[in-house]
Amino acid sequence: MDRTAGAKRRGPGGGGEGLSSNSRSLSANSLPVAGGASPKPSPASSRRRRQPPRPADYKLQVIIIGSRGVGKTSLMERFTDDTFSEACKSTVGVDFKIKTIELRGKKIRLQIWDTAGQERFNSITSAYYRSAKGIVLVYDITKKETFEDVPKWMKMIDKYASEDAELLLVGNKLDCEVDRAISRQQGEKFALQVTGMRFCEASAKDNYNVNEIFLKLVDDILNKLPDIPRRELSNSILSLQPEPEIPPELPPLRQNVRCC
Amino acid sequence: MDEEYDVIVLGTGLKECILSGIMSVNGKKVLHMDRNPYYGGESASITPLEDLFKRFKVAGNPPESMGRGRDWNVDLIPKFLMANGQLVKMLLYTEVTRYLDFKVVEGSFVYKAGKIHKVPSTETEALASDLMGMFEKRRFRKFLIFVVGFDEHDPKTNQGVEPRKTTMREVYKKFDLGQEVIDFTGHALALYRTDDYLDQPCLDTINRIKLYSESLARYSKSPYLYPLYGLGELPQGFARLSAIYGGTYMLNKPVDEIVYEKGRVVGVKSEGETARCKQLICDPSYVPNLVKKVGKVIRVICILSHPIKNTNDCNSCQIIIPQMQVNRKSDIYVCIVSYAHNVAAEGKYIAIVSTTVETNNPEKEVQPALELLDPIDKSFVSISDLYQPTDDGQTSQVFISSSYDATTHFETTCDDIKSIYKRMTGTDFDFENMKRKQNDVFGDDAQ
Repeated sequence: MDRTAGAKRRGPGGGGEGLSSNSRSLSANSLPVAGGASPKPSPASSRRRRQPPRPADYKLQVIIIGSRGVGKTSLMERFTDDTFSEACKSTVGVDFKIKTIELRGKKIRLQIWDTAGQERFNSITSAYYRSAKGIVLVYDITKKETFEDVPKWMKMIDKYASEDAELLLVGNKLDCEVDRAISRQQGEKFALQVTGMRFCEASAKDNYNVNEIFLKLVDDILNKLPDIPRRELSNSILSLQPEPEIPPELPPLRQNVRCC
Repeated sequence: MDEEYDVIVLGTGLKECILSGIMSVNGKKVLHMDRNPYYGGESASITPLEDLFKRFKVAGNPPESMGRGRDWNVDLIPKFLMANGQLVKMLLYTEVTRYLDFKVVEGSFVYKAGKIHKVPSTETEALASDLMGMFEKRRFRKFLIFVVGFDEHDPKTNQGVEPRKTTMREVYKKFDLGQEVIDFTGHALALYRTDDYLDQPCLDTINRIKLYSESLARYSKSPYLYPLYGLGELPQGFARLSAIYGGTYMLNKPVDEIVYEKGRVVGVKSEGETARCKQLICDPSYVPNLVKKVGKVIRVICILSHPIKNTNDCNSCQIIIPQMQVNRKSDIYVCIVSYAHNVAAEGKYIAIVSTTVETNNPEKEVQPALELLDPIDKSFVSISDLYQPTDDGQTSQVFISSSYDATTHFETTCDDIKSIYKRMTGTDFDFENMKRKQNDVFGDDAQ
């Protein structure tokens, strides 16, 4: 395993509230998160239930990468839908899943992208890494090869991902402790080598540490973002179609077509 | 591998990725392979800068002054997207726009008598422009109003012009337009690379001018869009669409043989395995025996540390050098983008000069363009053959795309895609076929 891959990637990550940025193990009790894991309606909003929902303060993109079968989709589905399926199917038909959470009094629309199965033959596009503010790198604690693949994923991250992206290494399938092939120390040790990379073990099946993963990641991301109420794209950048909900119609042409 | 597919696609260039996406979205089982370790084929953006140096066999590493290698994404083939063109339409219908961000190109310039002039994009600019005299502008405006209002299905708008009979030369005469205006219209608006169109029926020219005008109307600065991180993001976006709908992707996969039975493709052999298919799509490099050479293009990638002179410091623009200005048969184009598009290190610009090769000394042919870019930090020259298929695929079920040409945008690219689609399915291409057939975005939509 190439241990030097990804070392000294960038400056220390967030976590100024007494949590160090290196290889922090997460447990259910150590989060400085207000309001717990799921968004609870505040008294004000339950009174004014007919109001249109307040738009999100932040829209964040998170990607999940890792070798085939480690449980990327399971982790995502446990977080977004609180469901789990035993069947290990290569994900087809999912572009991304959206989950809105409240953190630090801010409303965050989390967009969690799926690999669309392109990891199967090492063919994830470089574009996939680009806009990710957070990257969850998953391996299977019962399958050694998936941990040995981690440096390979780090190479891709170093090459294509934003340097500001928050990293989280996750050893999944903690429910299969009996078949463990990678020790916790091994995982921690790897994450320690990468500046700002957090580490934890989780189980999508038993719903252990799943919420914590995503919430901690978002927390770290927020730490780095400027404290502005709404994140907007620079004026000169066009999305052509900002939200997937908008039907694919071209905006109407202006009446008086101006030309030279 | 070792499976049966409906379609196998070889090469992940833009055309192949769009077709792969269309096939997958319509329920076909697709295997998409590329011998390269990167997406995009001929239409890729090369990153990091070190790889660009390697590709052009430049010894040593890029100098420190060029910043970090990973900040660079250098297009191999220079093009811009027409804001109201077919590629944008394809992006919207497939919603591949989700994966991309664009910027409007800041301006278009045309070379005339040794100088570059801005192609006006507003009334104010048009009035101030010295591309035409005052009286010419009046006549030109009348002509433009005619073109924009022209409806080939409504003879009332035609003012006696028959779209499929009247030549463009006759239309120009009708509006009493002088040579300068004709040159400008044909090369800076209709974006023809030669003057062959003059004696053809005017419908095509009218539609091209309309496309320019409609594209300009969208974002005002220029009719062109450019994706952040380079054109290589486009094939990747469509590849993702295909993967979401079940397409299998394999980079770094050499193709050893295309297998035929009774003159019809049945599969592909690669590294000892065979995958079977009913139809095959590929770019010319996978079937050298089934394509013919139809020309050559020279492309010179130039790295600069400054914006182009007399463009008002645009961080992106297009320069058109019409053929008659430099005694050539076809126009020379220069596409300029920069750090502002996340394709170069801070403060750096990438200018790509391209044109059809007409002599034995292609590098000399592009001199007038290179002079506009002075001083150039480093340039990379490529002279590429242009190929077209000799087999339309009807019997063999092998559908081959044409090489990317020297035009400045993607209209001919989309025409080729539509042609291949028709050859493959027997039906006319319809943008509706590109729409995602099911919802693939999930979760709470609480805004």
